[in-house]
Amino acid sequence: MDDNQDQDVIIQIDHVTKSFGKIHALKGVSTTVKRGEVLVIIGPSGSGKSTLLRCINMLEFPDSGQIMVDGIPVMHKATNINAVRAEVGMVFQQFNLFPHLTVLENVILAQRVVRKRKREEAEQIALQQLKHVGIPEKANSYPGELSGGQQQRVAIARALAMNPKIMLFDEPTSALDPEMIKEVLDVMLALAKEGMTMVVVSHEMGFTRAAANRVVFMDMGKIVEEGSPDSIFKNPTEERTRLFLSQILH
Amino acid sequence: MSTEKIGKGRLFPSVSDMEKWPWWALVIALAAVFIVFNIFNSASYQDAFGFIREGIFTTIRVTLTAYGIAILGGLFLGLGRVSKNVFYYNFATLYVELMRGIPMLVIILYGAFVVVPLGLEIASGLGTWMTRFPLLAGWGASLQHLDIQNVDMSARAIAGLAMGYAAFEAEVFRAGIQSIERGQMEAARSLGMNYVEAMRYVILPQAFSRVLPPLGNDFIAILKDSSLISVLAVRDITQLGKLYRARTFSSFEAYNTMAFLYLSMTISLSLGVKFIEKRLRRGR
Repeated sequence: MDDNQDQDVIIQIDHVTKSFGKIHALKGVSTTVKRGEVLVIIGPSGSGKSTLLRCINMLEFPDSGQIMVDGIPVMHKATNINAVRAEVGMVFQQFNLFPHLTVLENVILAQRVVRKRKREEAEQIALQQLKHVGIPEKANSYPGELSGGQQQRVAIARALAMNPKIMLFDEPTSALDPEMIKEVLDVMLALAKEGMTMVVVSHEMGFTRAAANRVVFMDMGKIVEEGSPDSIFKNPTEERTRLFLSQILH
Repeated sequence: MSTEKIGKGRLFPSVSDMEKWPWWALVIALAAVFIVFNIFNSASYQDAFGFIREGIFTTIRVTLTAYGIAILGGLFLGLGRVSKNVFYYNFATLYVELMRGIPMLVIILYGAFVVVPLGLEIASGLGTWMTRFPLLAGWGASLQHLDIQNVDMSARAIAGLAMGYAAFEAEVFRAGIQSIERGQMEAARSLGMNYVEAMRYVILPQAFSRVLPPLGNDFIAILKDSSLISVLAVRDITQLGKLYRARTFSSFEAYNTMAFLYLSMTISLSLGVKFIEKRLRRGR
């Protein structure tokens, strides 16, 4: 849209601040995400990484700054945020599947309501996405009957069924039992290889090394350091990054 | 024997099977047998039952209609109680606070003698005004002829009961909506649904099944409170019971029959609510 804006930039975050009462969660954060890029955000708890992620699709409304998603200023009053959110899939730590609906209905609902797709078309896409994440046989189960790993994969299928341009992952494996982490990471890895633009808040080092184009380290509401996974993990320039990595890499 | 030794260490101190037995139900069952036996065998009870019987239908009709309206009104008000819209929220909250602070008997009198007549007067005035416009004249004419004289007391009683209970149901729905985890709304919104769509397809269906037991309890409550409409001389169970006693001075027969009729309805309903609760707890 903007002429002097890089065509390849899909998310642009400019000096975003956000506070919850007296807690300053974000103190002026700026970064960009390119089309097809996988960005992983790491940092200690309370560093503002989830808040930053939730600002991208306006689940949190920033106090100041500017966020552009695919050329649309999402903080603008005139922007239809629902239309933007339909293009931005999100996967939550707690899965947040709809417990009153079957797995298939979970994946169909937003396609019907938001995308206005016909029932047959939505169902076909849903089954395709469930196959994509490896659990087509659970289509008629209820979320409560699934393991955590299966639930999270359904949540990914639900987001993908909307054909989003961007996928946001908010600590997608933090609520999982250890033996279920891999099945979710495998799905995410495949998605990254297909060229999906992804912003991931996660401490999964294996995934980050394999999939991330860029790693951002946040602390105290600010970006401390960013770079390729190799440079961040092997040669962090900041003392805080080094300290944090020494605590999580064991 | 062995269970008795660890009984006190259990999370919930155990009681023996005899103590768990519902003795209270036995007492009620015996009382019911006594009344039913009398209705079939004693002439005076037969007389009382024959007289009061007519009221059962009125009680059920008034209860069902008022409850239906109260549920719809309560849903509308409950959504207002969780709304971020200043006017909607304050209107709903004002209504609920007013109604909860007024005794049901007063609400019924107020509805029957103030709200309904006033509402009809306004509607009829509006009708007169509408007859001036050719397009609206048809509707206007029918509104114009609304007259409180033509509205029977049971309809006015229903209005009062529904007004009061709408406030109670509003709080039930509010609690149900607020009990749904925040993540559900976030997930729905993150998929691009607007607030109304998220409410309709994600939040309300879950909230509904959670509030089914309290809604059932309120149905029992409104059934009992429907006895208050006897002050409007609506011929429900209570009114006919009072009339029968006044006519025959047979207090025992009149009031025993009344109590029996209400109890047989409320107890079977409360068993129904318990059944629903059990099914919900088992979950899907």
